[in-house]
Amino acid sequence: MSVSELKERHAVATETVNNLRDQLRQRRLQLLDTDVARYSAAQGRTRVSFGATDLVCCRTLQGHTGKVYSLDWTPERNRIVSASQDGRLIVWNALTSQKTHAIKLPCAWVMTCAFSPNGQSVACGGLDSVCSIFSLSSTADKDGTVPVSRMLTGHRGYVSCCQYVPNEDAHLITSSGDQTCILWDVTTGLKTSVFGGEFQSGHTADVLSVSISGSNPNWFISGSCDSTARLWDTRAASRAVRTFHGHEGDVNTVKFFPDGYRFGTGSDDGTCRLYDIRTGHQLQVYQPHGDGENGPVTSIAFSVSGRLLFAGYASNNTCYVWDTLLGEVVLDLGLQQDSHRNRISCLGLSADGSALCTGSWDSNLKIWAFGGHRRVI
Amino acid sequence: MAAVIRKLLPFPSPNPKRDNRESDDDDETSSGYRIEYSFASEYKGPLIANVPRALPVEVDQIPTALPVSFSSLRSGISYPVAPLVMTKDTKRPPDSGIEKKNGFVDSAAGSSVVLIGRDVVSGSSSSSSSKRLDVPEEVKSPADFRLSPSSPLSASAREEDHLDDDRVSDVGPRAVRFVEPFQSSECDESSYVSDGESIAATHRAERKGKRGSCYRCQLGNRFTEKEVCIVCDAKYCFNCVRRAMGAMPEGRKCQACIGYRIDESKRASLGKCSRMLKRHLTDSELRQVMNAEITCKANQLPSRLIIVNDKPLSEDELYTLQTCPNPPKKLKPGHYWYDKVAGYWGKIGEKPSQIISPNNSIGGYISEKVSNGDTEIYINGREITKPELTMLKWAGVQCEGKPHFWVDSDGSYREEGQKHPIGNIWSKKRAKIACAVFSLPVPPASSAVEPYDVPLYEQKMLNKLLLIGSEKGGATTIYKQARSLYNVSFSLEDRERIKFIIQTNLYTYLAMVLEAHERFEKEMSNDQSSGNVGDETSAKPGNSINPRLKHFSDWVLKEKEDGNLKIFPPSSRENAQTVADLWRVPAIQATYKRLRDTLPRNAVYFLERILEISRSEYDPSDMDILQAEGLSSMEGLSCVDFSFPSTSQEESLESDYQHDTDMKYQLIRLNPRSLGENWKLLEMFEDADLVIFCVSLTDYAENIEDGEGNIVNKMLATKQLFENMVTHPSLANKRFLLVLTKFDLLEEKIEEVPLRTCEWFEDFNPLISQNQTSRHNPPMAQRAFHYIGYKFKRLYDSILEPVNMRGRSFKPKLFVCQVSLESDTVDNALRYAREILKWHVEETSMFQEMSTTSIEASSSS
Repeated sequence: MSVSELKERHAVATETVNNLRDQLRQRRLQLLDTDVARYSAAQGRTRVSFGATDLVCCRTLQGHTGKVYSLDWTPERNRIVSASQDGRLIVWNALTSQKTHAIKLPCAWVMTCAFSPNGQSVACGGLDSVCSIFSLSSTADKDGTVPVSRMLTGHRGYVSCCQYVPNEDAHLITSSGDQTCILWDVTTGLKTSVFGGEFQSGHTADVLSVSISGSNPNWFISGSCDSTARLWDTRAASRAVRTFHGHEGDVNTVKFFPDGYRFGTGSDDGTCRLYDIRTGHQLQVYQPHGDGENGPVTSIAFSVSGRLLFAGYASNNTCYVWDTLLGEVVLDLGLQQDSHRNRISCLGLSADGSALCTGSWDSNLKIWAFGGHRRVI
Repeated sequence: MAAVIRKLLPFPSPNPKRDNRESDDDDETSSGYRIEYSFASEYKGPLIANVPRALPVEVDQIPTALPVSFSSLRSGISYPVAPLVMTKDTKRPPDSGIEKKNGFVDSAAGSSVVLIGRDVVSGSSSSSSSKRLDVPEEVKSPADFRLSPSSPLSASAREEDHLDDDRVSDVGPRAVRFVEPFQSSECDESSYVSDGESIAATHRAERKGKRGSCYRCQLGNRFTEKEVCIVCDAKYCFNCVRRAMGAMPEGRKCQACIGYRIDESKRASLGKCSRMLKRHLTDSELRQVMNAEITCKANQLPSRLIIVNDKPLSEDELYTLQTCPNPPKKLKPGHYWYDKVAGYWGKIGEKPSQIISPNNSIGGYISEKVSNGDTEIYINGREITKPELTMLKWAGVQCEGKPHFWVDSDGSYREEGQKHPIGNIWSKKRAKIACAVFSLPVPPASSAVEPYDVPLYEQKMLNKLLLIGSEKGGATTIYKQARSLYNVSFSLEDRERIKFIIQTNLYTYLAMVLEAHERFEKEMSNDQSSGNVGDETSAKPGNSINPRLKHFSDWVLKEKEDGNLKIFPPSSRENAQTVADLWRVPAIQATYKRLRDTLPRNAVYFLERILEISRSEYDPSDMDILQAEGLSSMEGLSCVDFSFPSTSQEESLESDYQHDTDMKYQLIRLNPRSLGENWKLLEMFEDADLVIFCVSLTDYAENIEDGEGNIVNKMLATKQLFENMVTHPSLANKRFLLVLTKFDLLEEKIEEVPLRTCEWFEDFNPLISQNQTSRHNPPMAQRAFHYIGYKFKRLYDSILEPVNMRGRSFKPKLFVCQVSLESDTVDNALRYAREILKWHVEETSMFQEMSTTSIEASSSS
């Protein structure tokens, strides 16, 4: 078979695929006669309203000297790990705002960090294309350098996101600029499976974010610069279970809905979207009013019930709280007292849902929770 | 994790039976689309009387709780003393109890409220409500809620108080406490919760022995030297001190006292130990212990005990207060008032004791009665005391008609609401005399002139140089040169990796030779078959490869085609011998000799030493590292910190022109490909000081395939990259240094390929003088370099908007310099970068306009 013949067939196949994809989109649009907001408005739902003291900034975690890029909570104890451009990971006690560990990283350009399920170790990754694991029990030397307990090497691009598989300390999923996600075995430091890459069903651009389902740890979602999100099953690495189209820009962040059957995305096109993994439908678009004025979505998080969606935007210090049912902004953390002074780059809810932590380029982290009283300045 | 949450939180579970995927699509559109979201649904069960409902909160109605009953602490007498030994029958001090249960709410009442909307009331009964919104309505159940009125007197009567009525306490601020259902699991947190300023009960040690004896061994008399615990006042003799105090992580404290606040009366002695301890510890130990004693968190003045204008200070505020130019002297826990405008400082209910630095944002608002004045004359909203009034009169201030004054920190005063000052209190000497008489504070000498802010721009000690360039643009060479120039050697792991890469490359080069060999062989056999039967000798070398080597070479070629060469080196130990054998085959040698001139320079460099390099114990030399290709593609980013060694030439310069030798530079090599789509991650390098953009001078003669498969001139691709970088928002206002690399290669190339090959350089039209020997006729390569530099500058100039800096606008310039493989040129380029940084700093600090040098003038060579 000659090359030209192959190329021809490839072109034909590509066109067929595109046609089918278009048909699928048409069909979906046809089926999707409503979205969550319209439906629940028809049901007579009223929006969540926030009182003055329902969500206030009650802790400011100061200590980083660079932009904070990522944070993660421990599952049960109230600790936070945060990663910043000053080249340090800091482990905080969120209740007391004390720092329990400050780990100096070999590569300062860190993009992500994660707490292991047992809270004994933290993982981080960044532009050095390596996911490094630090054990919190190992002792630091004078300069605060903790020896790296495990280096997960193998990515050929920056490590954009890492997350431990819930309840498994030995497994970790990373996403990377080399268009793949990798499931690692931490104990051996080897790849268990690679998602995407050479395969056609993988992402065609940098993968920016992963989120593992809490209810079914075999499922995870990845969001990528090819403006799609994909659902993967860790047991079948060969192809993505489903691809979710809809966004018109890079998908910066994905997060599973607490029930594990839906997930939210945040994108460079300034919208957040809610998808259903069973039907593959896009359930709702969360787009702020007044087009164009909002920058890309940097990070999202769901409340424990799923009723609220917190979304950080790249413009100023905007962080909207969306009512997921009605698709309305119910609060802007950027306008609250003690809000951040720069872009909010990461968000995370504590495991019990009682507090929200935001990390920002102003090098601070803030904890937001119900305030029994409002602080008067 | 989520499973746990679900157990804890009764939100409606998703309806697993109705799986929408099961039902067919049409069903979905009609009725089937009623997807049961697992959003919390509205409660539809029977009426529940006390659903915890959050009222619209009114700030002043919320029983705000001051976190701690400060007043009780201040007096310190009625404070319930809790000796550590008998915890059972003592009441826990109310404040520590509050502390313990504090959730995330700042130092006040907290509940673990799940962040859910308030109209989402789940079907659960009120038993679960303690996890939900806890609002004042629930006050009735004492199990959930406890009030601790915090007036000093009620500390002992606390129990009765909270039993009989919850709403009695209009006495003062109340502490509201929520009890969480998972108390026990949270208890271990309580030790953390202290936040370094928890008010742990300071207890007094009881002496068991007779007076003057050691608290531990009960020996000795009052003349024995003893060391005192700074918390509980226990005294220990020489023999016991180490046993009682242990390693002293927080200074001189009994082991039981560690973590507790020190006795305030001993604050003055912090860091001053007895002679006995000096004898006991070695110097370094002593220093450490004393240092710990002064600096450790538990020993600091607890900021919450200092209450300014009825508001306890936070740690930051205390820090501000203590570090302001005129801090209050002898700051002790207590209630103070502070006039932020004029800087008056005093104890609550007393006249001012000092004038400290004004305008510190600490504490709350001053109220009029803070100094207990009764003169009806107000200064900055505070009713002044009699002595102050007398002083004002002495100073000649008109006080008839009970005026209200605004006084500035410099003493100028005006009537409230007026714009122009009437006069200055301190302008008359009598005022200061009066102050001395009435023991009123006078402004500190320096208050008139606030300390002059010298550092207008902070001298940065680390300059970040961003090294960007297209593939094979020479950026990595510069990086490697810098490493060897400034003696920052590669680490062992790095060397190992580099060795790996070099060996991989070697196989690639070898494959190139083998390929060529096969080609030649084919040609030869073609020649043979075309009739020259007698020419046996020429074909002979081709046949002389023995089967084993033949097999190996086939394998190498096949692997290369598959792109699998990366997996070679691990097996290279076994292969080393084979490679050596193969290399010695005359046919290969002959091919290599024929090929030599067409192979890339690096290939020749490494193939020359193939026998050495293919060994597994090979250790790459610095030159090898410099020559090695493809180091950058392995890693996304590499960076090196270095500082310039000073040269003799520089030392002769005037000090103004000399550079700080301590200045650190960080050279960050970035692979543009590794920065994601649209260089998304470039924003991480916003703080870079200078961008060094590398362009290979030989690019004009090369073509590459772009994303869509079109063949483009590499120089144009580089130009595109350059445009993108210059206009990237993250690199706005950055200085650019264009480094044109591979000048030595250009010298060779320019003879073969004219510069006009690249369409961008079409109008390159050097004036070639007829007189070839003239020294005014620089070599072609030099001209080409200048021309290319000029082109880039024009481009830069055309795309860049003028920068507006402090009212003046100027266009930043592109700086250009050239580099070849010699280390000197790299050194020059980096030193040039340093100069640019220095100019930049001078420019911004003195806002000098750029000199009017022409675009062409700034290139160095």
